[in-house]
Amino acid sequence: MEPMRRTTILVALALASASALASDDHGHHFGRQVRFVGIHPIPRAEGGGMCNIEGPHVHIYAANKLEYRDHGGDWYFVGDPVAYKYDGPKYAYKGPHPIHVEAVVGGDPDVEYCYLEGPHFHYFQPEGPDFKMAGDAYFYVGEPPQAFLEARPMYVGINASYKPLVYTRPVVEVEPPSAWIGLRAEFVTPSVVVAAPAVEVITPGVVVVDKHGRGRGHGAVIVGGGAVIGAGVDVHVVAPPPPSISIGVGVGVGVSGGAVIRGGGGGHHGRH
Amino acid sequence: MRRALLILLVAACGKGAGGGGARDELIAAWTKGGLAPSAFTAAKDSPVGKDCSAGTVNSIDVLVCSYATADEAKAAQDAGLKWVGDTTGIAQVKGTLLIAAADRKKADPTGTTLNKLVKLAP
Repeated sequence: MEPMRRTTILVALALASASALASDDHGHHFGRQVRFVGIHPIPRAEGGGMCNIEGPHVHIYAANKLEYRDHGGDWYFVGDPVAYKYDGPKYAYKGPHPIHVEAVVGGDPDVEYCYLEGPHFHYFQPEGPDFKMAGDAYFYVGEPPQAFLEARPMYVGINASYKPLVYTRPVVEVEPPSAWIGLRAEFVTPSVVVAAPAVEVITPGVVVVDKHGRGRGHGAVIVGGGAVIGAGVDVHVVAPPPPSISIGVGVGVGVSGGAVIRGGGGGHHGRH
Repeated sequence: MRRALLILLVAACGKGAGGGGARDELIAAWTKGGLAPSAFTAAKDSPVGKDCSAGTVNSIDVLVCSYATADEAKAAQDAGLKWVGDTTGIAQVKGTLLIAAADRKKADPTGTTLNKLVKLAP
């Protein structure tokens, strides 16, 4: 199975399992109805794309736990709509931030939280002095409420879900404001480590020869990302044919990606 | 006797003009906004309200009910959602009108028409 397809299936499975959670205990509906408010993605099984209904409405499919929050009994989408081919007005953000849902879709006052850590879009602008704009993106610089911190482990998995999604994210290259939430220890420490694309470089016949001319490692050297080859060791690459490079994308919890350079005598997969 | 009948007739016309007028304005706004409403006919014995009209807009089933007050209209929202049933739909209040719409034929996969039904309402 090609990696991209596999990744898509993994993401779909992750969101589907989250859907089951989100559809439970959400009353005030009739039959199979699920209540939504605001625009949101349509599951691929239901045709995909975006649902453009801005006010309260119902569907007969579930919301998922990572991308939706309960706003007065309606599911409200807090993810990046551009990831789902939304092409309306959009505003760039970087890092996690609160959302005043009532300012977007009405209803009772309700603050929910977006946990997307990198640059992303929403279809609404933030309000208040707790946001600073830099490089055409909004940065949250307020003091995060306790609820924001406490709920993070439950929702931070959204980053793993979005990592493999291919779409045009905002490019934010400016230095963040000093009070940006992304610089706070609570938001720097990852709760979930997202696998980065793994690059495997397979090189046969790499021989490490020490200063006495002895070969090591049965003709193999394993170099990981950030590995240091000690001084006094000569490295000779013996007649290397063109290396084959395969790039895979993985999604997982607690697994990081890295470069794996595999010698002819063996290989090594692991963290780097 | 004749005078009493006349008063009753005027009162009845007045009531009809209230709900019907707002409903007519709503349907005219939909047409002006590029939607294609069918003729709307009285929906007798509707569980949503006593003064309801049913029709279609761009192949979506639509029920428009008129109430004496906005609070009454709001109180009927759940009945409107029940009328929608197991499909994509809305039941939203605009003034004293309740607009319920159900996409039973899956004619509006992205909800664009459903959204316009509310956004175009005066």
